[in-house]
Amino acid sequence: MEFNPCMKHKVVRGAAREFAEGELGPIAAEIDHQARFPWEAIEKMGALGYFGLQAPRRMGGAGLDSISYAITIEEIARVSAGVALCVTVHNSVCLYPLLNYGDKEQIARLAEDLITGRRIGAFCLTEANAGSDAGAVETTATAVEDGYLINGTKIFVTNGGVCGLAHIFAKTDPPDPRSAAVLMVEKERPGFSVGEIEDLSGMRANPVSSLFLEDCLVPRENMLGKPGQGLKIGLAALDVGRLGVAAQALGIAQAALEAGTRYAKERQQFNKPIASFQTIQNYLADMATQTDAARLLLYRACAQKDAGKPFATEASMAKLYCSAAAREVANLAVQIHGGCGYSREYDVERYYRDAKVTEIYEGTSEVQRMVIARGVLSRPS
Amino acid sequence: MRIVVFVKQVPAVSELPWDAKTGQLRREAAEGMMDPAAKRALEAALRLKDAHGAQVIVISMGPPSAEETLREAVAMGADRGFLLCDPRLAGADTLATSYTLARAVGALSPDFDLILLGCHSADSETGQVGPHLAEELGLPAAAYVEKMALKGRKLTVERVSDGWLETLEMDLPALLTVTARAFRPRPVPMTGLEQAFGQGEVFILSAADLRADPEHVGWAGSAGRIIKIYAPAAQKKGELIQGTPKACVRELMARFGDRLGGLLAKDLSGEEQA
Repeated sequence: MEFNPCMKHKVVRGAAREFAEGELGPIAAEIDHQARFPWEAIEKMGALGYFGLQAPRRMGGAGLDSISYAITIEEIARVSAGVALCVTVHNSVCLYPLLNYGDKEQIARLAEDLITGRRIGAFCLTEANAGSDAGAVETTATAVEDGYLINGTKIFVTNGGVCGLAHIFAKTDPPDPRSAAVLMVEKERPGFSVGEIEDLSGMRANPVSSLFLEDCLVPRENMLGKPGQGLKIGLAALDVGRLGVAAQALGIAQAALEAGTRYAKERQQFNKPIASFQTIQNYLADMATQTDAARLLLYRACAQKDAGKPFATEASMAKLYCSAAAREVANLAVQIHGGCGYSREYDVERYYRDAKVTEIYEGTSEVQRMVIARGVLSRPS
Repeated sequence: MRIVVFVKQVPAVSELPWDAKTGQLRREAAEGMMDPAAKRALEAALRLKDAHGAQVIVISMGPPSAEETLREAVAMGADRGFLLCDPRLAGADTLATSYTLARAVGALSPDFDLILLGCHSADSETGQVGPHLAEELGLPAAAYVEKMALKGRKLTVERVSDGWLETLEMDLPALLTVTARAFRPRPVPMTGLEQAFGQGEVFILSAADLRADPEHVGWAGSAGRIIKIYAPAAQKKGELIQGTPKACVRELMARFGDRLGGLLAKDLSGEEQA
């Protein structure tokens, strides 16, 4: 058993950290406060390979393993969780299913624009009456002569306001949940439109929005897999997506731990740094322990995937624990900062807002427990 | 064109851990990173490669962990890396280091056109290795370079010298050291990382591979000995200059003179007279 990072993973971390601190650090607070998507940084990230982190090198991707992927997302999230959200959703639930379930023609036609970041990817499952219950989607894909006519509304779509390609979950034979399919829709197709950007509590640099599909015609060649494979593809993508969200939560926890530690050493009360008080030390001890445990769970899940072993249970454990750790560590970091921690002038206030949603999206903590319990109960006793 | 860049791995911390007994850095106590000035030397080489085409090889002398720095350099665009890693090379002062690096140039790239280094490293900050290496190799050299342009076999460089900028022209082959201000390094592309960890990108060499004289390398070959090492006491002292803006400026000029102008690259005394 090896707990130390290998040389490659150290270099990957150094590369991602240097970029994140250099390019995203100066704008992280501003893009959150102004709810602005930082195209200028996103374009640079596209040129550097951040939008094809695990895509094969022969296709222009970075070809990285899953631990490298998690480290990269963690480092971006440590500086800007909103940007990390854009990158992980694009890579894990848009590009990954295309590369794994797409046919040669689809990959040749659509992958390059995603890998280079020319098109930002989105994954659209959630609707007003569907979310955790993925089989309940009401969007329809009616077979017509030229392909499928899609009708429906998707809500809380990460990258919604900037996406160039969206994976739409729709039923070809409603209401039968077994007829769910994934249709890849380019933004320029008539009938595809973007709603208002959501005014969310956290992750404000990400333009989360609704997407409307009104008689949106897509050719048959845009269906990923076959009719009826939608749930299978979606759930497989979410397994990978959970590694990314766990990494994002870990990055927030790490940032909050560093900020809390720094402030505890600087802030003087009763003529000494507050870090000298046992209560604050206990907070820091809990924060460090949770962050470390989160990291080990996540890397273990990634290692399972890299070894070609089943990793769904481990990915859900990582997502469940990392998101809870992010929320708790950010909460304690705010507490250490006292009144300042409640001010927008301090980054911990942003970490606190950003952390919460990691317990909600890409499978709520309640759904993660369902997945984990299913894994536990299916083990031979 | 063949360019050799020397890079060094330095501890990625602001307070360096020293071994008080030996007076040497405890490199194992901190994560390493590529020395900032050396990274800019690499960037200068990669810009020449982009503009004119070149083979860029990167050499480092250091512990096994310094391989990380070479892999990073390859990911950025260098063609190959060589790590001079041997316990016999450890503990070298600038004299022994320069000798060893000269042997490495002879063994690995004798037909080089240009050698680039950082002006001084962030850990020991002597600034001696570049000029000393030029002496070892009998090369024309310019230190503290901030701009360069290549035309044929002629290199025009701009270097900083005591607040002045000098423009020099030199023939290749030559050696340059660059400051940590110029040649802002490109980010490491994620797309370069897997290749950088492939086979045949980085090679490890010993003192014997360089056919170096054991008497001239490492601790044994070092003329200097560190007698004492200690952290300087922090002695920041703030002083408020009060009065009208004009009086304050006069006072500042009286105290610091053209050093202020040097910072702003302006003749402030002239402006004040005008």
